Amino acid sequence: MMAGNEAHISNDNLAAELNAWLDAHWDEERRCEKDAARLDVGSWLGKLLDAGYSVPTWSPQWFGRGYDSKQARVIDDILKARKVIGRSQDRYNLGAVTVYRLGSEQLKSALLREMLTGAHSCLLYSEPNAGSDLAGVRTRAEWVAGEDGGEYIITGQKVWTSNAKGATYGMLLARTDWDVPKHSGITFFIFPMQQDGVDIRPINQITGESEFNEIFINEARVPARNIVGELNGGWKVLQTALAYERLIMGEGATERQGKVKSKVPPLVELAKRHGKLQDPVIRQKMAQAIAYRQLNALNMKRAKAEIIANGSSSLMSLGKLAMSRIQHGEARVAADILGPASLLDGPDFQDSAEMNFDSAKAYMNSIGGGSDQIQRNIISERILGLPREIEVDRNMPFREVKSG
Amino acid sequence: MSEISTEDRNAMRDSFARLLAAQAGEKALRETMASPHGFDENLWKSMAEIGLLGLIVDPEYGGIGGDAQILEDLMEEAGAHLLCSPFLSTAVMAASLISASSEESLKAELLSSICDGSRIYAIAATGEGGLWTNADVGIEAHKTGDAWILDGTASFVLHAEKAGHLLVLARSGTAIRVYLVDPATDGVAIEKLETNDPTLRLSRIRCAGARGTALDGVDETVIEAALDLVRVALAGEHAGGVKKIFDLTVEYLKTRYQFGRQIGSYQSLKHIAADMLIEVESAASAARYAAKLQAAGSPEAKAATSLAAFACADAYRDVSAQAIQLHGGIAYTWEHPAHLYWRRARTGLWLFGSSDQHRETYLTCLETA
Repeated sequence: MMAGNEAHISNDNLAAELNAWLDAHWDEERRCEKDAARLDVGSWLGKLLDAGYSVPTWSPQWFGRGYDSKQARVIDDILKARKVIGRSQDRYNLGAVTVYRLGSEQLKSALLREMLTGAHSCLLYSEPNAGSDLAGVRTRAEWVAGEDGGEYIITGQKVWTSNAKGATYGMLLARTDWDVPKHSGITFFIFPMQQDGVDIRPINQITGESEFNEIFINEARVPARNIVGELNGGWKVLQTALAYERLIMGEGATERQGKVKSKVPPLVELAKRHGKLQDPVIRQKMAQAIAYRQLNALNMKRAKAEIIANGSSSLMSLGKLAMSRIQHGEARVAADILGPASLLDGPDFQDSAEMNFDSAKAYMNSIGGGSDQIQRNIISERILGLPREIEVDRNMPFREVKSG
Repeated sequence: MSEISTEDRNAMRDSFARLLAAQAGEKALRETMASPHGFDENLWKSMAEIGLLGLIVDPEYGGIGGDAQILEDLMEEAGAHLLCSPFLSTAVMAASLISASSEESLKAELLSSICDGSRIYAIAATGEGGLWTNADVGIEAHKTGDAWILDGTASFVLHAEKAGHLLVLARSGTAIRVYLVDPATDGVAIEKLETNDPTLRLSRIRCAGARGTALDGVDETVIEAALDLVRVALAGEHAGGVKKIFDLTVEYLKTRYQFGRQIGSYQSLKHIAADMLIEVESAASAARYAAKLQAAGSPEAKAATSLAAFACADAYRDVSAQAIQLHGGIAYTWEHPAHLYWRRARTGLWLFGSSDQHRETYLTCLETA
């Protein structure tokens, strides 16, 4: 590993060291390794990993430098500015983070390097009958004896998986015990995607996009050593993995929020283009929609200040629910501004097309990643301390739980 | 920006909170709201003693030189206790208007009477329309010799009955100016208006040839600034009030049992509580942000103040209304405090401009940003 591998290096020295290393190894203009004919992603990511810049907050034993988040931020800023591929995988590579945080030493040895040098992974959590009630997964994992702990035969259907094509691994939730209550019979696997019996079909979404896929798994295999955590302990592993996912999504959301800097709100511009800026009813609706967005931004600003002061903030968890009201609300006001033109679509009617897209896309926030109704449960139970709704299937053997 | 340190600010808020806990609990509140003049003179004196009445008055004139931020902060405490007092009219609006006066000796005398709590001020700022706009000012001023004579009607005047001085906004030509009027002078009639909120005191003031003294240096800009300051104060009061009634409601959801379980375990109720929490926190964020920008003299303070004005008023209205619904029958009784918050919430919807007016102002600010 390179010099300067001490956790107490100053930010200036760290920046100088990284910049010197990049000068020697990275061609910023061509976005590839210096003196290479073209970008070889695997080779480049390996180089960055060995230099200690891919996962700087991890322990030196596992490719890291034991840095704190501020030092990691210094590295991230430079890598971002110099258009380097593969930055901050300790924040963004969900598969690798899950294995690093929760996997056995054996699993880390087997997978981490591969996962950090281009083998990407996808999520195999939701099922057609296990959406909000994720613990209701029915994908079956049957153990068969063999070397090294044997393997599991997987059969079932997963849904809402993005980046499935080309994925090397899937983070799979499957049922390994049907005779215990639903939370107690689930196991978390790192499942090899490139094998017979794995069929990926894109979902055509209401926005016209196809980011997500359905995955049909028919007697595909996963080695027993690819279990993360304990056998039947998958629910606990999932909670941690979901927390990382929310963290990543939350960071993304605040970074995106920071980029919206146009002074005049887009709804005002839209109203101007369509001659509705002086309509008093439209003005009231626009003001309210714009206010909801600003109020949420102010809440998130307070949340950040509280996190800096106290380490946590209950305000943070209000953001996603508030965002649903903002996105659906803005699209509704945009439709009111457009009037009958909101019936139109396509390249000749750009504003209409954009509004129609936004009004469908708003469901991505209000359903995906825990619907608004689930968010309200979380807020009222975890922040306000209200009791949980009684769950009829909580202590029932899963075999007897109704599904449909 | 204020010179007051964070420690002093916190100490001030703590002593105000202790004072309110000791002297302005629900029992005291109910006595005060049933009293003829709607405020507790002993509490008023205590507020003067800890410096609250001179909160925004310059130290040179006996105050403590606080800014919008400390004012907002303290108003959150006041709101949680549904404080009934002439604080907004005397210590916020009158103090703000008089502080801009260019007549030193008069200014010193008036401000000192605010700081020591010896005089209540009422502000006649709007006409029968209750719009708090220049166009809605319903009193005309004419100069006769050296004296100003006032004619017309003002309404929605806070705490006029016990006022030692009236500050009357009146039109002279196209200019709106502020006149100091002795309520006992000839040609002034103060008529008490019955209110929906028993903690609120409103009057109509009729001037017929009433004599007044012009406050030199106090023009439309000063008036608008005083109105914006009182809007932030009211927004802070609402942020504190809405938080309090929300907390009481969540507590009730945990302690009330029906069908053998806490009613807060029903999603139909807890989902409403989750939505209410967004409103409660948004109100606090908006009020504090507006106060911060006003204290910093930011050009965006106007937009932030309008945002706080309607966001806090609407949040208070919606959350206090849901609070009654979630409590059920118990909150349909006069003895339960929920309706007092629900009544108080209405003040922000109409005092110093309506939510619709504030939304319009907010959008206008953004358009021209």
